[in-house]
Amino acid sequence: MTAGELDQAGPKQSGPVTGSHGSVTGHSEVLDGPFTTRQLLRLDEALRLADRSTSLTFSVYVGELDEPVRAHAEKLHGQLADPDRSVLLAVSPNQRLLEIVTGAEARKRLPDRDAKLAALSMAAAFGGGDLAGGIVTGVAQLADHAGRR
Amino acid sequence: MSVLETVLIFVGVPAAVVAVVTGLVYASGSRRGRRYRPGRPFEFTPVWFLSSQAQASGVDHSAGEDRRAVTGTAERAALPARTPAGEDGPEPAVAAAPHGATGGASDRW
Repeated sequence: MTAGELDQAGPKQSGPVTGSHGSVTGHSEVLDGPFTTRQLLRLDEALRLADRSTSLTFSVYVGELDEPVRAHAEKLHGQLADPDRSVLLAVSPNQRLLEIVTGAEARKRLPDRDAKLAALSMAAAFGGGDLAGGIVTGVAQLADHAGRR
Repeated sequence: MSVLETVLIFVGVPAAVVAVVTGLVYASGSRRGRRYRPGRPFEFTPVWFLSSQAQASGVDHSAGEDRRAVTGTAERAALPARTPAGEDGPEPAVAAAPHGATGGASDRW
């Protein structure tokens, strides 16, 4: 899994490991995050399986979203390598909201109704305080709905 | 059994057990309170996860050395800067609609 730590240190473009802009650093920042190592591994596994089985690109953002939230999530989605074939799950624990953004191509296989269904089950898990579990469930559910390709 | 032995067995041993259990709980609980709880402030650095391409293509490395972190950086800082640049730049249409229509869903909890 590749994890991006976003900071406000100023724009710096560097080698895209995953197609997204970002410089490679150690993973200590990620380990300092809200997830335990075991949860990170589960998340890694879920993303990897989802990507492999659907050939879409799934990514998960956890952090503040600026108002308007939907537009910010769509901008983040637009920064992915191939937005049309990408699905972004943006979760803002502080604002207690989540956005699922599907690209044009991904949307054909993942109708908004299915995205909403995944969003509902994620929100249910988040409401119980299970951040990692909700994300893993959501990614798995989206990948399941998108089907194999 | 003398009074001293009685006290040692019936008070000392339980006290020692309690002390050991307490020690274990606090020793392993360094991450307690760092998890997300609904309604409590969540003060972690924003983090963005992607499946890495090497693993997506089925290469099976050990998870530890393969987990890489990307400072995705710049996304947040770059966003406000990018919008005015797009408006002034020669390609405002591209800046307004960088890719096709997106769909998805929103929810709150």
